[in-house]
Amino acid sequence: MTETPAVVDVRSLHVRFGEVEAVSGVDLRAYAGQATALLGRNGAGKSTTMRVLAGVVPPTAGQVLVAGHDVRTETLRVKQAVGYCPDVGGLVPRATAWEHLQLAARLRRMDHWEDRARDLLERFELGDVAHRVTAGFSHGMGRRLSVLLAALHEPEVLLLDEPFDGVDPIGVEATFDVISDARARGACVLVSTHLRELAVQSCTTVSVLRGGSAVATVSAGEMAGEEGARAYRGLLD
Amino acid sequence: MPTAASSTDTAPVAREGLVAQTRRAVADVGHLVRFRTASLRRRRAGVVALGAFVLVTLGAAVVPAFVAGAGAGSGRALDLLLLLPTMLTGFLALTIVSAAASGGGRELLARDPAAVHPISPTTDHLGALLLAPLNIAWLLQAWALLAVTAYALGPELYLAQAQVVVVLWLGAATAVAQVLAWILEGVRRVPHGIVGIRALTVGVLGATLGLQISGRLLQVFDDLPTRWVVVGMVSDSVGRWALTVGVVLATFVGAVVLGAVPAHIAAHRIPQDELDVESGHHPVRRLSRTTLGQLVRTDRASVWRAVPMRRGVAVLALAPGLVALAGNLPWAQLTVLPGLVASGGALLWGVNAWCLDGRGGLWRESLPVAPETVFDARAWVLGEFLLAASLVTVALGAVRAGLPSVAELTALVCTLVVVTVQVVAASLRWSDQRPFAVDLRSARATPAPPIVMVGYSARLALSTTVTGLAFSGLANVDAWQVSVLVAVPFLAWSTARLLRTRRAWCEPVARARVITAVAV
Repeated sequence: MTETPAVVDVRSLHVRFGEVEAVSGVDLRAYAGQATALLGRNGAGKSTTMRVLAGVVPPTAGQVLVAGHDVRTETLRVKQAVGYCPDVGGLVPRATAWEHLQLAARLRRMDHWEDRARDLLERFELGDVAHRVTAGFSHGMGRRLSVLLAALHEPEVLLLDEPFDGVDPIGVEATFDVISDARARGACVLVSTHLRELAVQSCTTVSVLRGGSAVATVSAGEMAGEEGARAYRGLLD
Repeated sequence: MPTAASSTDTAPVAREGLVAQTRRAVADVGHLVRFRTASLRRRRAGVVALGAFVLVTLGAAVVPAFVAGAGAGSGRALDLLLLLPTMLTGFLALTIVSAAASGGGRELLARDPAAVHPISPTTDHLGALLLAPLNIAWLLQAWALLAVTAYALGPELYLAQAQVVVVLWLGAATAVAQVLAWILEGVRRVPHGIVGIRALTVGVLGATLGLQISGRLLQVFDDLPTRWVVVGMVSDSVGRWALTVGVVLATFVGAVVLGAVPAHIAAHRIPQDELDVESGHHPVRRLSRTTLGQLVRTDRASVWRAVPMRRGVAVLALAPGLVALAGNLPWAQLTVLPGLVASGGALLWGVNAWCLDGRGGLWRESLPVAPETVFDARAWVLGEFLLAASLVTVALGAVRAGLPSVAELTALVCTLVVVTVQVVAASLRWSDQRPFAVDLRSARATPAPPIVMVGYSARLALSTTVTGLAFSGLANVDAWQVSVLVAVPFLAWSTARLLRTRRAWCEPVARARVITAVAV
């Protein structure tokens, strides 16, 4: 059992949109140098939890600390600490890929970011389309750029929501590399996905969400293979 | 023994006949209308709006006939009767410009959600025709035509028969405009078609200006075939009136049917201007020195790279300016134009300003920047967009207006500033209150559902016209300081409302509601 403090510390998180309770009592802890997968069916509350961690949606109740900052009161600090790839789109339609990178670099006060940006664009095979507006991108290209944008500034907390959705094998490999690099430099990674096998391959820990709350947190190994698939189905039912 | 059909079998293909296809297309319009109306959140408001529309239309068609001087056969009533053919043509021109600028008219169902359904271009054409009146410019012109006819004829027996022809004309002009708009859209979508359309536009404008400058425009107006329509609508002869009704009705029906052909042709071609934006390479620019500057640059790109915005603002800036130029409007009357242009500009995207980011809203919201700065950038870009369009209009109108007096110039400058702030404040308030997830890629896209757009446009038109008229009066006051003094409370009120919206935007729960709504 690790004694280091959690980089992401979520206690009894509730998020309510009008009559709908999207998240109802999630507890979650994620640590530096580790990658945690959030697994669950559609509507389990994975994306809403990620949005809260990114400082995009405020929690209705509960305590959420990201990199030591309360998302409710220190939202700007949280945003400085995280890199976020949203589940839907995540790109401004009439801005080019390079303009997205420029905006992120400017707002994050990054210097000498261009070489890293070009390197990432090449790794994600987006170098040729860097100066095209993203409205013309395929779904997979958009996903890859979203992951790239989240990773550009080497954040303390990397939040990837459905990063493998509709992405080709090269994009999946590049995303794996981004996750490994982040872990290697001591970042805390959270990956929300419904693709169990990819979650197991890329993460160290798996938290399963059901009906807006976390039902289990196990090591990725326990979710691997046929045995893991059965265990996962058991948790979903 | 195999029972499945072989790939070499010549299976009988069930083909629908043209009549069956048309019947199906018409039925689909009904399905789509029901689908759209079912999603209306404020049904009671919809019923009230429909009631108000019927009341205003009846009022416009009848009440002016009982005003003093109506139907006198002389004076203003006679002048208006003589102007009626020109007004009928003006309505046709307006509907053509409106339909062509919006790429063939509005959509009953936006392109992306419609893509998964077997919706025929005929359905699309009929839907666009149905939505054409849900436009404040169309409504105001239609009401004006009914009102002018009523005043010109007075409470005579002619009035009812004339208004029947006017109503039929409204339909026929709209349908003909729709046909032309589809043809123009079809041409736009062939290689070099955009250049051709631009050349055609310049040619038409040049010819109109040439006629005006050479003093032959009035003669052209007198020779318009719409005179035949006006003569028919007030004819004593039942046969002549019936012939007029028949011709206008036949034009309407013919145009509705014929419009399906160019609609099909246009639907099978790729929109070149969207393709150019989405596949073209955009040169790299240096980073802005400030955060606000970078945000403004991003927002500006989102606006000026959008086909509906570029096309819409070009029409908005040029059309009223050219009318002012042709009509030789004096400086005092030019003050009405900035409000009109700013209102139209806001209706292109400003009334749902946060939809500019589309699904990128979630990512942008995760960036470490103060919400105030994001708001300021959006307000700035909207303000400069509206101001730029208004300035082009005023510049065109000023060409033949001569040198203004200090009072006239001050009134105009005050109007420009006041209506810009007024419209920015209203637009951002509505953007905050009622966000919609819309994709502004297509020239046919609107930032809000059609019925909501009518409400927005009516409110904007009312407030900016009142402001424009107030300063129009002040332009005739010798002391220029009066305009400035009057502008101060206008500006203070709008600025206070803008700041209140800014405070609301900075509230995290409210902002999350807007962001998640537009990013769906």
